[in-house]
Amino acid sequence: MIQKKICMVGAFAVGKTSLVTRFVQSIFSDKYLTTVGVKIDKKPIKIGDVDVTLVLWDLAGEDELSKMRMSYMRGASGYLLVVDGTRPTTLDTAINLQKKVDEFFGKEVPFVLLLNKNDLTSEWCLGDAEIEELAGKRWTAIKTSAKTGEGIEKAFLTLTQMIVGE
Amino acid sequence: MSDTPTPDNSKNLQEDALSEDKLAEIRTLIIGPEQAQLGKLQERLDNSEMLAKDVSRALPKAVILRASQDKKFVTALTPTIEEVLKSSIKRDPKTLVSALFPVMGPAIRKAVTETLRIMLQSLNQALEKSLSWDGLKWRLEAIRTGKSFAEVVILQSLLYRVEQIFLIHKETGLLLQHVVGEDIAFQDADMVSGMLTAIQDFVHDSFDAQSEETIETIQMGERTVWVTQGTEVVLAAAIRGTAPEVLRSVFQEALENTLLEQGEALESFDGDTVPFEKSRYLLEACLQARYKTKKQKSSPFLWVLLGIIIIAFGTWGFFSVRNHLRWSDYLKKIDTERGIVVTDTGKRDGQYFISGLRDPLAVDPVTLLRGSKLDSEKVISYWESYYSLHPDFIVLRAKKILRPPETVSLELKDSVLYATGQASHQWIAQARYLAQFIPGITEIRGNDLSDIDLKKLITSKDWIENQSLRFTGGSTRLMAGQSDTLCALVKEIKEFQDIARLLDKHFYIEIRGHTDNTGAEERNLLLSRERAEIIRFALIEEGLKVINYKTTGVSSREPLRKDATEKDREYNRRVSFNITLADIPTTEGN
Repeated sequence: MIQKKICMVGAFAVGKTSLVTRFVQSIFSDKYLTTVGVKIDKKPIKIGDVDVTLVLWDLAGEDELSKMRMSYMRGASGYLLVVDGTRPTTLDTAINLQKKVDEFFGKEVPFVLLLNKNDLTSEWCLGDAEIEELAGKRWTAIKTSAKTGEGIEKAFLTLTQMIVGE
Repeated sequence: MSDTPTPDNSKNLQEDALSEDKLAEIRTLIIGPEQAQLGKLQERLDNSEMLAKDVSRALPKAVILRASQDKKFVTALTPTIEEVLKSSIKRDPKTLVSALFPVMGPAIRKAVTETLRIMLQSLNQALEKSLSWDGLKWRLEAIRTGKSFAEVVILQSLLYRVEQIFLIHKETGLLLQHVVGEDIAFQDADMVSGMLTAIQDFVHDSFDAQSEETIETIQMGERTVWVTQGTEVVLAAAIRGTAPEVLRSVFQEALENTLLEQGEALESFDGDTVPFEKSRYLLEACLQARYKTKKQKSSPFLWVLLGIIIIAFGTWGFFSVRNHLRWSDYLKKIDTERGIVVTDTGKRDGQYFISGLRDPLAVDPVTLLRGSKLDSEKVISYWESYYSLHPDFIVLRAKKILRPPETVSLELKDSVLYATGQASHQWIAQARYLAQFIPGITEIRGNDLSDIDLKKLITSKDWIENQSLRFTGGSTRLMAGQSDTLCALVKEIKEFQDIARLLDKHFYIEIRGHTDNTGAEERNLLLSRERAEIIRFALIEEGLKVINYKTTGVSSREPLRKDATEKDREYNRRVSFNITLADIPTTEGN
């Protein structure tokens, strides 16, 4: 059996926790996020014939007041970088975080960018230009919605494929 | 440049060769012996056969030396030996089976015995707890918490128990291996493993600890997590209760052995946890537990039981003693009773028994038993009949057999029964006869015993002899009113005859005829005879048998009165009776 540690990172209140709540096995409550700064969940996934268990470290969001604990990233095989599509600043935070992670690991670590809250079309602020710019960076971006469940399974699958296919 | 040597060159070469030879000679002289030795050593090292010989000499000592240092040699050899065993079994399982056969039998037996023993022990414990106050408390707790009773019992009597062992990859926090004790509820180990790592990181970061410093213990109530750090892995043990510090060395050793076994797998670890399955046994050895030794505190139920037993014994003792006292009283009482001889007493199968001899006239032992308040069903009596020769009993027996009338009293003196008072002739005769058969009586004496029938006979005789039937002058005709006297006489004579017959007496009744002194003597004699005859006939006519009767005429020779007046003559003209009893017995008993 293959196990992989992956992290959920992103700015504060981008919906990281809501995004996975319905899709993972969990035993810990959300209060760990505000106390310890991390909550561990589990997501079994199947890539072809291989069973992979993703041990999901949901890290507390980063904002002006609190920085993400990078030590929690140690040993991660990849991560989901979450952005709130209705708040453009969260993309900046994500770009910064990605840099910090690469710096922390000293190498490029597989990740998938999740453009969350895709159901809130009226409030959506991310323009195509910004997305294309990311595509230019060869980032994999997936639009997701915690409300509808859109893109979430795909995100896990894509990231796992990236990790296992490394 | 040309390859052809010039004369100069050739000279130089010759010199060089010469110096080379000299150098070789010098070398041989200086380090010749060492060189030879080195050559030999090289040869030994190159020659595998010689090398094997050398190693074989040192191997046993080396093995002992290494094994005494630590267990690494064992751990290193284990995979090889396992492979050897596997290959041997694959090739020919019989060899190993034959080798193991003598060991397997006893081993299986031991395992079965051990399992049974544990089962019995837990059954005992469960039973014991079920009946105690603690048991009741724990049963309530089991209901309240929804745990099984067995689980509550185990938790309450636990000193410590290693419930779970996590082997965690240090870098990723991924769970490499997880072992759990039996019947222990646990959360998803993968997530717990991650969180445990996260918390360690959190603490480490939060308190700016040095990188070597790590969490060793996490304590929460009666649960503790002991963390043993290795180079690439962490061994976390979840313990319930208070474990001894010595347990840390157990974990340390397990961790070291795992590292030794899994060195390669850890180096190339990429999320695949399958290879670590092999080291599971090392972790399982860490699942140790110790339970409280049984306290000698006895349960209240035991006291109640003891109380019941004491009361039961007390009651039993009380009744037993009381019965014994009653039994003794009964024996004393029966011992004083006349006509009863006790030959054996005792107690058998919870019942008293008594046996002996008893005169039928003695008091009934059953009556005595009733009086003693002993449960008659608990006493077995066996009485053989006998005749007691105690004077009281002889008299009693005599009374029972002889049935004397109330007018007779009996007394025994020196085996002679003295009868006093009055009794019928028949009884006296019967008593004389029966007395000889009564044990303890040699004879019966009735000196002071009067025969009522004999008395009556005499009285009757006297009465008859005092009567006279008067006749009119010069005739054989009875005077008026004399027929009543005749009637009374007939009745009396009949009775007399009956009594005489009863008493076996012979009698003669003489009917004597009398005349007055008037008239001629001859005539008077005749008249007197006739008068006697007349009466005899009259008696016959009245139905009397007159076998022993005699009639006599005595004329006027036996006047009743002097023939002075007519009145006197009237008295003298009569018939009188004279009775003779043959062999009149005296009243003497003999």
